[in-house]
Amino acid sequence: MRRDLTHISEQVLIERLTKGDQTAKELLYDRYAAGIYGIVLQLVPIKDRANDVMVRVFTWAFQHIESFSSSGYRTLFAWLMRKTRELSIQEAIPDTALTGTELMKREEGILQQFYILLPASEQQVFRLSYFKGLSVATIARMLGMPETEVNEILGASMKAFRKFLKDNWN
Amino acid sequence: MELKFYIESGIIESYVLGLATEAETEELQHMRKLYPELDTEVDLVERRLEKAAFDEAVLPPMEVKDRILQRARWEYAGAGYGDSSSNYTFINIQPKDGSHISVHRWWKIFFIIIFILSKIFLFFAIFYYLKYRQQKEKEEPKQVTAIYVQVQQKNSHQL
Repeated sequence: MRRDLTHISEQVLIERLTKGDQTAKELLYDRYAAGIYGIVLQLVPIKDRANDVMVRVFTWAFQHIESFSSSGYRTLFAWLMRKTRELSIQEAIPDTALTGTELMKREEGILQQFYILLPASEQQVFRLSYFKGLSVATIARMLGMPETEVNEILGASMKAFRKFLKDNWN
Repeated sequence: MELKFYIESGIIESYVLGLATEAETEELQHMRKLYPELDTEVDLVERRLEKAAFDEAVLPPMEVKDRILQRARWEYAGAGYGDSSSNYTFINIQPKDGSHISVHRWWKIFFIIIFILSKIFLFFAIFYYLKYRQQKEKEEPKQVTAIYVQVQQKNSHQL
């Protein structure tokens, strides 16, 4: 049964998940857990908390698979990744509260690699937006800038991100 | 040309990462309806991101998978679905008469400690009681002697 399912398409996997198929749930986990865990660790560098986020992401996915088709996402991975970031930000604690020993390696993540390449001003805005989940209005208030400027900086970093993805994983 | 400019602005990447504002997301969804070719572009961006993420994938501990699947099984069983594809059968072994309770395993250790402590206290209670009695028995002849001496003294004064 398990072997039969390994190579099924995403569409068939979604259909099976909608029916509540337990094997399909395991397959969803096997397919995406490693990619998703890498994303979680960039946002929640504490192992125990990152593990909790994983449980919450996949439990949510099993329960809300029906909403995938109307989510606007084309792939299950992007759909999962969006929720992963949302739940990770809720779970994240201030950097000052981390002692160091519990930290995981964060430099290896794809978004960390991209972040390091950005100019300093874009780095700050992108960090607050992606890693901290702050809104443009909050970032503008924090940095003492007009919202339009924050929007421009974020726009420039998104252009750079598009180029970064296209250059490396086209 | 305008569409190309729109795509190149990185709006799709912003949407996929979850950074786009509500207004930007609504605009993108509207544009996707007008230009179905945008769907292909969204698809491409999502797949690029997936490839990138899997290049930096980290295998989670086995315990995470167990926790997720166990929770899924329980929720599935709790929801009352029948599952023809799995070999798991959930049997509720709790009696329904309400005369039984199930408690945490720590209670067992707690009761053992209480039992041992009660035995120790009982031992000391008996031990000190016997010691007290022994002490009292020793003191009694002394008191008798003291009373005798006092009586003797009184008699001698009277004389």
